[in-house]
Amino acid sequence: MKLEGEHVFNGPQADVWEMFYDPNVLASALPGTQSLTLIGKNEYEGKMFVRVGPVSGVFDGKLLISNEVPPESCTLTVDGKGAPGFVKGSGDVKFVAQADGTTLMKYEGEVQLGGTLASVGQRMIDSVAKSMIRQAFESLDKALQERIAAKAEGRAAEYKPPSEAEFAAAVAKDMGKSVLQSQEARVIMYVVPALLILGIIAYFLSNLPK
Amino acid sequence: MSYKIIGQRITRNEDAQLLSGSALFLDDVHLPGMLHAAFLRSDYAHARIKSIDTSAAKQRSGVVAVYTAEDFGDYWHVGPLQVPPPLAIAGAKFNARPLPPIAKDKVRFSGEPLAVVIAESRYIAEDALADIIVDLEPLPAVTDLEKALQPESPLVHDDLGTNLAADVQQEHGNYAEAAAKADVIIKRRFYIDRGASGAMENRGFIVDWDEKTQTMTCWSNCQAPIPLRNTIAANLGLAASQVRLITPFVGGGFGPKIMTSQADDVLLPWISMKLKRPIKWVEDRRENFLATTSERDQIHDVEIALTKDGRILGLKDVFYHNTGAYDPYGMTVPLNTQTHTTGSYDIPNFYTRVIMVFTNKMVVTPVRGAGRMYGVYVMERMMDIAAKELNIDPVELRLKNMIQPNQYPYKTGIIGQDFVENVLDSGNYPATLKKAVEIIGYEKFIKEEQPRLRAEGKKVGIGVVCFVEGTAVGPYEGARVNVDGSGKVTVVTGISTQGQGHFTSFAQLAAEQLGVSVRDVRVITGDTGHFHWGAGTFASRGATVAGNAIYSAATKVRNKALQLASSILEAPVEELELADGVVRIADVPSKFITLGELAMRANPTRGTIDPNMEPGLEATAFYGPPHGATGQGAVAMIVEVDPETYLVKIKRFVIAHDCGTVINPLILDGQIMGGVSMGIGNAFYERMVYDENGQLLNASLMDYLLPVSTDMPPKMELAHFSTPSPLNQLGAKGIGEAGAIPTPAAFASAVENALKDEGVEILESPLDPCRLWQLVQQKQ
Amino acid sequence: MSKLYPIKVNVNGTIYERNVDARMMLSDFIRHELGLTGTHVGCEHGVCGACTVLFDGKPVRSCLMFAVQANNHEVRTVESLGDKDHLHPIQEAFHEKHGLQCGFCTPGFLMTVTAFLEENPHPSREEIREAISGNICRCTGYEFIIDSVELAAQKLAAAEKA
Repeated sequence: MKLEGEHVFNGPQADVWEMFYDPNVLASALPGTQSLTLIGKNEYEGKMFVRVGPVSGVFDGKLLISNEVPPESCTLTVDGKGAPGFVKGSGDVKFVAQADGTTLMKYEGEVQLGGTLASVGQRMIDSVAKSMIRQAFESLDKALQERIAAKAEGRAAEYKPPSEAEFAAAVAKDMGKSVLQSQEARVIMYVVPALLILGIIAYFLSNLPK
Repeated sequence: MSYKIIGQRITRNEDAQLLSGSALFLDDVHLPGMLHAAFLRSDYAHARIKSIDTSAAKQRSGVVAVYTAEDFGDYWHVGPLQVPPPLAIAGAKFNARPLPPIAKDKVRFSGEPLAVVIAESRYIAEDALADIIVDLEPLPAVTDLEKALQPESPLVHDDLGTNLAADVQQEHGNYAEAAAKADVIIKRRFYIDRGASGAMENRGFIVDWDEKTQTMTCWSNCQAPIPLRNTIAANLGLAASQVRLITPFVGGGFGPKIMTSQADDVLLPWISMKLKRPIKWVEDRRENFLATTSERDQIHDVEIALTKDGRILGLKDVFYHNTGAYDPYGMTVPLNTQTHTTGSYDIPNFYTRVIMVFTNKMVVTPVRGAGRMYGVYVMERMMDIAAKELNIDPVELRLKNMIQPNQYPYKTGIIGQDFVENVLDSGNYPATLKKAVEIIGYEKFIKEEQPRLRAEGKKVGIGVVCFVEGTAVGPYEGARVNVDGSGKVTVVTGISTQGQGHFTSFAQLAAEQLGVSVRDVRVITGDTGHFHWGAGTFASRGATVAGNAIYSAATKVRNKALQLASSILEAPVEELELADGVVRIADVPSKFITLGELAMRANPTRGTIDPNMEPGLEATAFYGPPHGATGQGAVAMIVEVDPETYLVKIKRFVIAHDCGTVINPLILDGQIMGGVSMGIGNAFYERMVYDENGQLLNASLMDYLLPVSTDMPPKMELAHFSTPSPLNQLGAKGIGEAGAIPTPAAFASAVENALKDEGVEILESPLDPCRLWQLVQQKQ
Repeated sequence: MSKLYPIKVNVNGTIYERNVDARMMLSDFIRHELGLTGTHVGCEHGVCGACTVLFDGKPVRSCLMFAVQANNHEVRTVESLGDKDHLHPIQEAFHEKHGLQCGFCTPGFLMTVTAFLEENPHPSREEIREAISGNICRCTGYEFIIDSVELAAQKLAAAEKA
């Protein structure tokens, strides 16, 4: 499946950069992340708990960052396996500082799915992936605003990342409008956007300001 | 032959139990101490197994055991082949690759079992599947039939050096000579795909090894209980008499339940013996799509040679057939394609070649129609295409080439799935075609209705096709009929039942001969504890093959009752009749003896008996046909294609068919309609979609569309003919698959006719709205 | 050992009190916990309709509900219609019109039809065809099922009059 889109962060590139530097924000923007470790140059390993309807399990994901042109662009390659199936793919990410002080992020990628995810989740995957990405960015946006505000007020930033349930409910509501009629069919997928965002986290983590 | 009970439209004996929800299906069986199995299945279609770590799974509370191929030691074995190779066909090449019960070293299809977990509940067993860590090295998958035979293709079976599973050529007459004489030669390529059987009940297996009695009881919803029981006993080194296999009520078979020697029935009996506990396994729907057999694609390159006035001189068909990753079911499906291509037509020269190919998908075995549908599809499409090219009416062209009623037995020269030459035994093919055409009002539609509706912008079309259905093949079936001391009649046969009404139709056969009510005959099917000779329910053979055995056994019991009664009532046999549960003197009905009384007299508990006599009113009989009996029919269909959405609505559906003597017309109608609904599914709604990695993308009913009530025509119009088969005493033929065989061809024909202004030519199946739109776009 | 929840469910007029796992499906509860095996499971993802039961009078897919959701609710299964010696008029109609073959989907159809005929006692064939389009049958082709529902409506109407 193809994944592409853009998102505008309401903050200067510097603040976006700093926020992404904070692993706590990033990891908690994606509920289910159990671990994220640097295992080699630009290679990360992560464990994430994934739920697709009644099927759930831990996903082992490897992420490779390549073609880095800091602070503009990079390519992320993802390889994840777990009980719900497997994911393989890669995507290009671009960051553009805007004249109005915001930061535009563009992403474009191709992902192959297998296992239960592919055979049962087909019709859900597209719209859920988009919804998940949107929600994750909104969550990061809020964190960014809090961070900027805290800085201006000279205090430590406090943000409450959404609980897994709130996150899931928001995604379900999103999907419910477009795809689902029945209350029962709640399908929530974390993997693809999660790994993509993991990649963004990882990218920024690997480019700490001196 | 006129019957009193055979041929009657009798409602079914089995209904009350099924309707009240008190019928026993496989998953309803509960045994004390029962454990539950779940299979870990490969996500990859093609991969090398590097390691499987089950240690975490074994630690999970509630898990009793976890096994991989290694854990079975010497017991792990491949196969056996379910169906022998076609050695009867000269020059046949066949590479046998039976199905392993669980993958070792390599996985060859997505869904192939890697490990089995035994736990206290299915919930826990499935939890434990997620604990198993599998390290697979993915390999490129083989999915395309033609690319699979290219030298650079990855190999499904490395040791074979090729992906060629079989190559079988057959010829009747000489096609090359026919082509040389022809005025017109037309060539086309067809791509035909099918799908899953979609039975409402998934596969399952229960096994209970009783250490104390040293016996094993199995429950299975399979279509071949006796061969399966024999295989299980042989696998485990047990005597066949130590193993009993019972088929309870089965929620639909349609073919795939004939496939045995799979993970469940090979491994679970061994595990049950080891753990000394009963084990149950029931498939879920996704497993059914991935790892239960289905039918797949064929690619046909067809050539037809005709004279300019429409006489077919010859037909040539070279086709690829996808057998999946293994070929345990031999060549049954493609051999059926070969024997059903020329079908209803007298074509003196026919060359057919099947190139069977291994791919990284689950195995192909029969699904209702079992390969016949592909042959009918290509023939009927070529007929329509030839009719257009020669400017002859398509019905006229068919009638011109049809086998006539005086040409039977018609030897086709092509060997079929039963390894003997396919001989058409009887029929009146022109009659069924003419009837279908008459009922649908063909002339009126073509001349008046169609032009009128088209002028209004409605894309309506009509399609007419013919088909044959080879049924009732050997080897044999058997039955035992018994009247007990209380007068109750029991019929026992080895085949199993999946909803086709055996408990009634078989009762009718016995009731006819014994003069009892159909309601008073108890029928037992598919329980090796009661009867252990027979092959199984497939190829529409149950009613004819088992039916004839039952009828023969009932006749023997009848004759014995008459003999006995004759001496008791002191009247010659010719003056006696069996009716109302008694034997009586026809003219003096007050002189009678009940069947129960006779049964008791035939089974004394003291004294002596005639040394040549067998006790009781009981008889066993077997029946094996010399070759299959062939049914035939014609379908006429009118459709309307929506010019914007390309959804197809069936406006009328007519099927005229001939299946010889009919045991129960009510059950017959049900079988035909059911087959038609499956054919409609195959024509327009069903398709198993695989990606280039061999991933099945629609392994659920959400995305694999089974037709529902609103997808059916407003009414299915059935017309019946009955040309008795000379092959058996009942004159019967099978009918179970008839509805499914011609429908995709009829659908294509009607849709092509509806889109004739757009100049679309349909050379594929299934169709769907997107594809129709594409075909129309391509032409513009 | 996972936590068990006490539930009280009225099934076919009898109150059952049981302790169940949170994730136990209503279909499994009915079939295996209560032993009412007339309700069948065909797909476990809510499409085929074989598991249809009446939940507070409305048809639902019991494979998509948890047993705990049935706490303090009323469930009706096919066993509530009749037994094999005393069939309900709807069951009789299916028998007379050959509206079943393997019988696996049948309890689901019967429950759907029970609710449907309560709501629409004199349906047209078209309305019947539409009403049963949420239940899949692989054996019959639906024609005889529609005939059965038509006859069932007539039987129920006659019983009403009597």
